[in-house]
Amino acid sequence: MAEMKQTKFHGVFKIDGRIATVNLVPGKKAYGEDLIKDRGVEYRIWDFWRSKPAAAIKNGLKELPLKKGMAILYLGIANGTTSSHFSDIIGKEGLIYGVEISGRPFRELLPIAEKRGNIIPILANARMPEDYENNVLSKVDLVYEDVASNDQVEILIRNCLKFLKPKGYAVIAIKSQSIDVTRNPREIYKECIKEFEKHFDIIDKVELDPYEKYHLFVVMKSKR
Amino acid sequence: MYAYLVKTLIGVFSLDENRRVISFKPFSKDPSQIAMKLSEDSPSEIQQIRTEFKNFEFVSGNLKMEAFVKENLLKYAIEYSFVKNQVEFNQLLTKVNSELAKQKIKETSRRDQLVIHVNNAIEELDKSVNVFIERLREWYSFHFPEMDRMIENHETYVALIEKFGNRQNIDDKKLNHLKDRSSGMDFTEDDTNILKLFASDITKLYQLRESLLDYQSKLVKDVAPNFSAIAGDAIAAKLIAKAGGLERLSRMPSSTIQLLGSEKALFRFLKSRGRSKSPKFGLIYNHPMIQNSPRETQGKVARLLAAKLSIASRIDYYSKEYKADEMKKDLENKVKKILSSKE
Repeated sequence: MAEMKQTKFHGVFKIDGRIATVNLVPGKKAYGEDLIKDRGVEYRIWDFWRSKPAAAIKNGLKELPLKKGMAILYLGIANGTTSSHFSDIIGKEGLIYGVEISGRPFRELLPIAEKRGNIIPILANARMPEDYENNVLSKVDLVYEDVASNDQVEILIRNCLKFLKPKGYAVIAIKSQSIDVTRNPREIYKECIKEFEKHFDIIDKVELDPYEKYHLFVVMKSKR
Repeated sequence: MYAYLVKTLIGVFSLDENRRVISFKPFSKDPSQIAMKLSEDSPSEIQQIRTEFKNFEFVSGNLKMEAFVKENLLKYAIEYSFVKNQVEFNQLLTKVNSELAKQKIKETSRRDQLVIHVNNAIEELDKSVNVFIERLREWYSFHFPEMDRMIENHETYVALIEKFGNRQNIDDKKLNHLKDRSSGMDFTEDDTNILKLFASDITKLYQLRESLLDYQSKLVKDVAPNFSAIAGDAIAAKLIAKAGGLERLSRMPSSTIQLLGSEKALFRFLKSRGRSKSPKFGLIYNHPMIQNSPRETQGKVARLLAAKLSIASRIDYYSKEYKADEMKKDLENKVKKILSSKE
């Protein structure tokens, strides 16, 4: 039988061409993913098709700045698929502030959050950081954004200015189809990157084809 | 002397000007209790502090003090043995915020979301009924092929089978002269009984559809009185469903409302950069006002109608005050003007 092997990413393992994270709450699935036991440790398979960071890793991402104990601000947490793996990686000392505008996905998110104890669900609009600044207790190490909106670049920058620690990380999945369907995605990526470079150093970027069409995954570090 | 009041999720702090804690009144440790206290403007703990320390003048809402306490909240929480360590603190945070989110979801009235479900249910029901009827017609035509052409109305067709079953029993003006000369095969009693059963279930689906429609118009009148009065109940429901709720609809520019439902044509137009024609209307095309105007002016009427609809949706979302009658009159006058300037 194949064995779990550590990848170069903190807390991410691989087996048989798939990647996985250590299950923070053994025996419990978050969204119907496969559970694999290896030498007494339970792992959850991280699906390339359902989670953008997983797709980015599959497509050759060089660095994913996730570490144990990190505080993360997650914009557009939806029903908690991706964040459950983040929650595995950062562990019980870490904290994810998950902002979501729509009440519907909370049906799935709330049970996951309560089980894991390190995901804080916040029902708010990510365009208005003032609305949830009381919920976010301290500055965060990383801001992750996956929202379908044509001002997603602006939203990320605004949240980073407010909540990101100096020299903290920002990770975004740019959806070119949400920004402008009529234009060439590559052109849109270029413009977004240009905008980001005013505030961040770009560490790595990778397109998510075929797992997500017309998406660019970007990892950045704050200049401030 | 001044002192500052800061409400946190573990309780209420009061601090002096040097940021020393004068007093701390903890909340109970139950997450849903905490969530309740947090959504209250001045929970009893604040009153307690105010009465206990009469020599201070209390100020609440000081941003610097709030930020200071927030940053040190974990430290305080352990110091006042509200939690043992960070892990417990994180779990508390999660539970409280989860309660807050639940409260928020409950509070936001979302009856408009019901419209989406009813409307989609009706559309899906239509599709299914059509499939069933096609099957029934093909099936029964083995027995009585001539009836398929003669009875074009689906409901009548189904009702006839449900009532009579075998073609020999049918009593209908249009069919009586055909049934004896039919080229269809003979059906046994079993063969016809199962078809009668099938037909009666389709009839039930038709009845369900009627009830859904009734409910939908009641609902849409309740959720969006102005909007539905101008658009008509069916179109109003479709537009709300397409937009994803009344809130979203009320935030849409009228040009978007005008084209809701014609996305395919719109994006074809946008992608071709003007080489194909832009659509003039989406779902509102079925509105009598557009249907009754000549082809050349339909686009203009659609624009006017959409403009009024967007205003109506905003009134419905924010106040629900009934103004539809004046708006309708205004709209009709404007449309008349367009039509007369044409001639």
